[in-house]
Amino acid sequence: MPSPITSVAVSSPVPPQPEAATETAPPDARAPLSVWLDRSAPAVAFLAVLAAWEGATRLFAIPSFLLPAPSAVVTAALATPLEVWLGHVWATLRVALMGYGLAILVSVPLAVALASSRLLSRTLYPLLVVVQSTPIVAIAPIIVVTLGASDLPRIVITFLITFFPIVVSTVTGLLSTPEELIELSRSLRAGRTREILHIRLPYALPHLFSALKISTTLAVIGAVVAEFVAAERGLGFFILFSTSFFKIPAAFAGLVLLVAISLLLFRLVGLVQKRLVPWSLPKSER
Amino acid sequence: MTPPVIRFDDLGQVFRTEAGRAVTALDRVSFDIGRHEFVAVLGPSGCGKSTLLRLIAGLIAPTRGAVEIYGMRVTEPRDEIGIVFQRPTLLPWFDVLGNVTFPMRHKYGRVTEVERARARDLLALVDLADFADKRIDELSGGMQQRVAIARALLLDPDILLMDEPFSALDALTRDEMSFELLRIWSDRPKTVLFITHSIPEAVLLADRIVVMTPRPGRVREILDVPLPRPRSMATLTDPTFHALADHIRGSLFSRPAAA
Repeated sequence: MPSPITSVAVSSPVPPQPEAATETAPPDARAPLSVWLDRSAPAVAFLAVLAAWEGATRLFAIPSFLLPAPSAVVTAALATPLEVWLGHVWATLRVALMGYGLAILVSVPLAVALASSRLLSRTLYPLLVVVQSTPIVAIAPIIVVTLGASDLPRIVITFLITFFPIVVSTVTGLLSTPEELIELSRSLRAGRTREILHIRLPYALPHLFSALKISTTLAVIGAVVAEFVAAERGLGFFILFSTSFFKIPAAFAGLVLLVAISLLLFRLVGLVQKRLVPWSLPKSER
Repeated sequence: MTPPVIRFDDLGQVFRTEAGRAVTALDRVSFDIGRHEFVAVLGPSGCGKSTLLRLIAGLIAPTRGAVEIYGMRVTEPRDEIGIVFQRPTLLPWFDVLGNVTFPMRHKYGRVTEVERARARDLLALVDLADFADKRIDELSGGMQQRVAIARALLLDPDILLMDEPFSALDALTRDEMSFELLRIWSDRPKTVLFITHSIPEAVLLADRIVVMTPRPGRVREILDVPLPRPRSMATLTDPTFHALADHIRGSLFSRPAAA
């Protein structure tokens, strides 16, 4: 959107473009088909893939335990009662959200500590990298044995897979604060606490939100990994259970729900960012 | 005799590089700045101009000599000082008024109505009265720097330190801002230390110009600017203006005499 303010400051009238008079085409005057395509291209592409998938499975008579047709997936989804689905969805969502929440609660203060102290950063960072480099899938069974069969090991596994990007991004954000603002803060003798609360943390918010978006997907992955190891509820458990009985269409239905949860959480974090800290988004996304 | 507002007494600053090498940023700098005087410090990059500013602000400690403000040695940041940096560095999560009142909020934790009214006066002073509730990214670079000036004036400092404040602006805005600054300064007299690498800017603005040498930063000469005030566009065509600018140019581009 053209801003009237900048034109006041610059106050240099732009000479009218010669083409502007002849080519006064408003955006809607384009061919209706191209406008329609522009808006619905993603949906069209998605439906095309589904159609090709359905067509291929029918044309080549692919058995449903190898690759079920979308229609078979829908049928399998409807065969499972709604409250069973909701039970599984809730189990997975609860673990994902609790692990995610725990990751935020731990990561942000940890990032502040790492960004504030060179000693802490030199001591803790290598440890964090070691934790991050450990394949969570490999360590998950050990955690389940150690912490027992409850939600706790699942939340810990989700936490472990989620927290690292949040810490790294927040530290980057805290350290990306312009040096002048830190000097301004010091020249006002405002103190370290206010420096962090008033300047560094707000500056880290765009970075933090990028990490929070990535971590929503990781949280769902963490919950599913944990359910693969030990669970009697949840979409990860449902998929494992279904595949062991060759009920591949049902497993696919569970997979679709997992994708939906990931997308929903991702979108939700995006909305929170747009609502609470719109300035942290590029102008086009506000 | 009352002490000068700012006194540099045999000031020296040596930095250690990461490789452990010693770099002399400032060497044997001694001069005084009087009350409500506008002093420009002029020199090429690497002459320690910004170091000088940070020493007055109490943000770093000198390795040799001292900076005094009102006869008192500077050991930590003091309340008498407002700083305008090269970049406006405003806070994007506050509107314009929020940015001007930020020093108050940051230092004391809250902003009173009195300060808000003061901030509005300052916005009027920098010609942005109608922009109080605009977002920062709605402002041009020149306007953002005006907000930064208003922010520096909020706590009514006696001393205004300006670190190449207009160097990031385009040439036209830069000239406009110079005259704006002169107008603001005549309205709110302050002791100003203005760091710049622009000869015309220094001559147009200052009462005195401190010309520095690069590596190590030493005072090459201190020049009085005999141009009458108030200065205007006409000043730019004054023969004295050009004579002084030519002199500085010659002085900067000649090899330094052996110290």
